Amino acid sequence: MDLTIEQAQGRVPVAILRIKGALDASNYEDVIVKARELYDAGARHLLVDMAEMHFMSSSGLVALHSIVMLLRGQPSPDPEMGWQAFHALGHDRDTGKQPHVKLLNPQPKIRQILQITNMDEFFEIHTDLQTAVASF
Amino acid sequence: MDASSSLRVAAELSELETIRRFVEQHATALRIDPSAIDDLLLVVNEIATNSILHGYRKQPGTIEVAMRPIGDAVEICVRDHAPPFDPTQAPSPDLHVPLAQRPLGGMGVHLARQLIDSLTYRITPDGWNELTLVKYRIVPHLPQEEPDGFNN
Repeated sequence: MDLTIEQAQGRVPVAILRIKGALDASNYEDVIVKARELYDAGARHLLVDMAEMHFMSSSGLVALHSIVMLLRGQPSPDPEMGWQAFHALGHDRDTGKQPHVKLLNPQPKIRQILQITNMDEFFEIHTDLQTAVASF
Repeated sequence: MDASSSLRVAAELSELETIRRFVEQHATALRIDPSAIDDLLLVVNEIATNSILHGYRKQPGTIEVAMRPIGDAVEICVRDHAPPFDPTQAPSPDLHVPLAQRPLGGMGVHLARQLIDSLTYRITPDGWNELTLVKYRIVPHLPQEEPDGFNN
């Protein structure tokens, strides 16, 4: 898996995280680390370019979920704590699509994974880069 | 001709790609549609990941993957020697809670159930966990070649 970063400017600065290859349990944490670096450098809006990502397992969903929490400034849920950690976060005010992390050109099978898991409820999915950047 | 194939790898996350490549190569050889191959890849990947992370808890171990056509179906068995665990008993996740209330992960078995037609668990006589997945109607029937010199 390769990760590259590009900066774009719409109404706000947008960091584009381009993921190429396969995203699975062996490397999903690299995506989170990269997102954390971007956040620490000031990024608050992230577009994940998935056009060249040919495989994503459920670990990729964990990465996306973690990145959203990160860009919201919330602690990333601890998977070892189970449901207690999540009730402690309080009821989420947000339902529906969140504004911090958006997806660009997921391949059809990856889009299906997002649908099967209802994760597509939380992410705007774009097919055009300029439109995606302008949407933030 | 025996069309079954098998693979044995160390239970390490770095071997997930090896497992996927094995499934893809053999599914392609069976002329399975690419979309169905993608389903098989994902499900076997999820099963193997669960074995490594939750079964062996990243301790040393072995994973076996065996694959064979049965008529128009493909059967894939994934075996490990981790402590007995039946992932088919895992409750379905609640997919309708807000994102911040969702636990990280827990989608592997759910995805498997959605993408393949049958998922069964047993403990083998020699004590291995064995998950068997079957996906129907994906192996195309190919007409048999007529032998040379055949005349009607």
